[in-house]
Amino acid sequence: MERRDFLKISALSGAAAALDACGNPEHQLIRFIPEEDLTPGIATWKPSVCTLCPAGCGMLVRVMQGDAEVVRKGQLGLLKMGLAKKLEGNPAHPVNEGKLCPRGQAGLQVTYHPDRIRTPLVRSGPRGSGQFKEVTWDEATKQLAGQLSALASGKQQDRLAMVVPPLRGVKKSLLGAFAAALKAPAPVEFAFLDGGVVAAADAASFGPAEPPTADLGHSNYVLSFGADFLGTWNSPVAQSLAYGRMRAGRPGKRGKLVHFEPRISLTAGNADEWIPCRPGTEGALALSLCHVILRDKLAPAADAGHAGTLIEGWAQGLPDFDPEKAEQQTGVPAATIVRIAHEAATHQPAVALAGDSATAHTSGLFNALAVNALNALLGSAGKPGGILFTPAWTPSLGKTAEKSQAGGTLPALVKRIQSGPDAVKALLLFGANPVFAAPAAMQVREALEKVPFIASFGSFIDETSILADVILPDHSPLESWLDDAPVSGTARTVAKVAAPAMEPVHNTRGTPDVLLDVAHQLGGEAATALPWKSYDEALKAAFAPLQHEKGSVSATDPDEFWSKVREQGGWWSAEEKSLPVGGGKGSGVAATAAAPAFDGGADAYAFHLLPFATQMQYDGSLAHLPWMQEAPDPLSTVMWGSWVELNPATAKKLGIEQGNLVEVASQHGSVRAPALLAPGIAPDVVAMPVGQGHESFTRYASERGANPIAILAPMTVTGTDALAWAATRVKVARVGEGKIILFGARLHEMPEDVKHR
Amino acid sequence: MVIDLDRCTGCEACVVACHAENNIATVGEDQAARARAMHWIRVERYYEGEFPNVKTKFMPVPCQQCGAAPCEPVCPTFASYHTIEGLNGQVYNRCIGTRYCANACPYNTRFFNFYNPVWDKPLDLQLNPDVSVRSEGIMEKCTFCVQRIKAGEVQAAAEKRLVKDGEIQPACVQSCPTQAMVFGDLSDPESEASRLARSNRATRLLDELGTFPKVTYLQRGSWHDNENA
Repeated sequence: MERRDFLKISALSGAAAALDACGNPEHQLIRFIPEEDLTPGIATWKPSVCTLCPAGCGMLVRVMQGDAEVVRKGQLGLLKMGLAKKLEGNPAHPVNEGKLCPRGQAGLQVTYHPDRIRTPLVRSGPRGSGQFKEVTWDEATKQLAGQLSALASGKQQDRLAMVVPPLRGVKKSLLGAFAAALKAPAPVEFAFLDGGVVAAADAASFGPAEPPTADLGHSNYVLSFGADFLGTWNSPVAQSLAYGRMRAGRPGKRGKLVHFEPRISLTAGNADEWIPCRPGTEGALALSLCHVILRDKLAPAADAGHAGTLIEGWAQGLPDFDPEKAEQQTGVPAATIVRIAHEAATHQPAVALAGDSATAHTSGLFNALAVNALNALLGSAGKPGGILFTPAWTPSLGKTAEKSQAGGTLPALVKRIQSGPDAVKALLLFGANPVFAAPAAMQVREALEKVPFIASFGSFIDETSILADVILPDHSPLESWLDDAPVSGTARTVAKVAAPAMEPVHNTRGTPDVLLDVAHQLGGEAATALPWKSYDEALKAAFAPLQHEKGSVSATDPDEFWSKVREQGGWWSAEEKSLPVGGGKGSGVAATAAAPAFDGGADAYAFHLLPFATQMQYDGSLAHLPWMQEAPDPLSTVMWGSWVELNPATAKKLGIEQGNLVEVASQHGSVRAPALLAPGIAPDVVAMPVGQGHESFTRYASERGANPIAILAPMTVTGTDALAWAATRVKVARVGEGKIILFGARLHEMPEDVKHR
Repeated sequence: MVIDLDRCTGCEACVVACHAENNIATVGEDQAARARAMHWIRVERYYEGEFPNVKTKFMPVPCQQCGAAPCEPVCPTFASYHTIEGLNGQVYNRCIGTRYCANACPYNTRFFNFYNPVWDKPLDLQLNPDVSVRSEGIMEKCTFCVQRIKAGEVQAAAEKRLVKDGEIQPACVQSCPTQAMVFGDLSDPESEASRLARSNRATRLLDELGTFPKVTYLQRGSWHDNENA
């Protein structure tokens, strides 16, 4: 080739490359004028609040400049904006002291999720078909306001219902005020893991109606009854921090952890001793420990105070719970019970915790009361190294919020909907997903299908919001004004608030602002009860009284106070001061509740089904995040799926091998998942992770794995209205070959068809 | 780096923090089934014994940043090399994907990109601009968050001072809820990491291979140590 020809060809291909670039749609996007003043490459840190579980950890968000494709005023374009790049714990925060769990780390993917709802939607196909058409915010809010004013003019406000995840802080007050202003029933709170049983037991034994704050950092002996406090229970980061200190934070001292549960959870895996007991008998076990402590005069019965008097036979030394009888009931050897009782009583401060499956049997409240009595007997209630109670912040938004009526439970709402045509005419959904997270036998889906109008404020199309008629998508947490008031994990009063860490990526609106807007559109009483122009005004008003309390922020005028509070990510009291532990309210649970009841006969349904929240997907609300799918479960190492955990001996008896597809059937339905053989589970128990098995929850979670909640019996914990989610018996059978993805799999276990590319 | 196995609970906060910090691709279900998931730090879980006497152990394993690293001499293009600060560096644009280093590594902490990584839009907005995205055919591994180390050194130099102990934290260390991980300068005998590395609980993973790993594990204590003390 001549040099001249070569040059010509290169010039031509260069031109072609230039033309190609024009074909790239990214280069055709218009550029919006940036609204923020950012320096490229320099990170700023903004305080925020983790909203992914009830712990309420404080975060710092690393914000850096980047180009995002956004829609502004109906036009797609590129915008240079501050983008959240990494989440860290806020070192100043009393609950998590700069630390964050894997779920908190993955919060970033909620904001950038490809299947987030980007704009308001109105249903365009049959209900549940998932067909929606995009509408403007004006149209969507008009639809909602129209429905609400129609109810008001027909004096049918009591036919409005709201379903929310458990809320705290100003957001709870605002929703309560909204309901009260509309003269509607208060919102129904619903979550699969709600901690209500522990709070009820604490109220009865000690007074404060909240989960305990375990001061593990000063404990020498920790007894855990089912509570996966290092994984998902209560306030995992605060508890993990304290656990680290218990193990290696005090020179020459190392606390001991004993865990009672039929299966090895993350916490059981870290225990010095894992002691499997029969499902639901944790309370009997705790009382047997008390029996030994009383019998051997390690502590007098009177030490337990009010918490002891709640237990039948306490003053007589609990004759029904001697170690031999307890061995019959719990399956734990009598000698072990005696040894543990002596160790705990002689290594104070000692602390006992009850949670998760131990409080999700029909005997759950009894179990929690028994563990409270043990705590009281060990002298750990309200003491360092024992259990403390957070003096939680309860903000006030004025009189209207306090007037709101009780919202009732989800089963009560289902009953209300089914009590007659149009008994509930409109339903507002605030991110809760009861169709997934309640047993199929509760018939939540069937009930919701009867409600003429459903509006959802969620960010994703899940099993519940797919039934909505109109969707008004909320900002992601990082794009929102956030507030929270943790009830555990610290002995300080903590009031948290955070301004949006970044501008919204999509055409979404903050739900509190939408509610204020709707209230103003309705006018009259609703508008006067909710006078704030925007949510941040309401937050400022709610925080104002804290200026005069002794805490982490001191300021002379309200504006200075507000700006300092936002800078710090909240306000917390100067002093650590646990709520006083005094006489509780008492309780009507008799000792007969010690024997748990189960759904399904032992002959036909030979196994206990133990559902458990997973480290990555939690209760299923985080299954849509790719990081949470690909991070292996710490114990099973399963990725991208669910499993049925079986004892190897049980599996052998049933002819089941690792990875076989197994059917787990209760009286209420069946699910299928691959078998995982693990030594850490009792032979008469099968365990399944909750979290997978979504029908509709984005591209990453839909049609993946199985949902054991679906087949649970709608039993309740005696003495409360909480779901007894560990009280279902099942049968198990192999149905064929299955597929399980284990991170721990060795190379020779790779499928044979895999060759190099 | 020092990892205290008495504090570690195996919660995997480090694993997810590492993904977020270092732009590690999510490979998806099919590739994960082919053992191609990339976790620069992983948590190994061991069961010992049979029901009901089962003991569980967890151990986080990042690149051990060996002093005599088997991955370095085998690289034909000097993509794997020893940095002046003692890290096992990986120069992505030198790497031609022979995978010799991964074969040589006794710790299985090197990961090969079988495909170009994909982030479904707008998940690409989560990418950390301080860390390059690796393409198909490239080997990648834990860097001890070298971008954070460099940033810390630049900051200290600008302020005309030495880097303070504990000032630089890799993403895994910063996130760790039990404070099981400590990062510091092993050439400074006064650093917290050096101090802990001299503990009588200190061991090193596969030390007998002569790799001189720079990660020290502190063995789990037992309750009876306490009793005898």
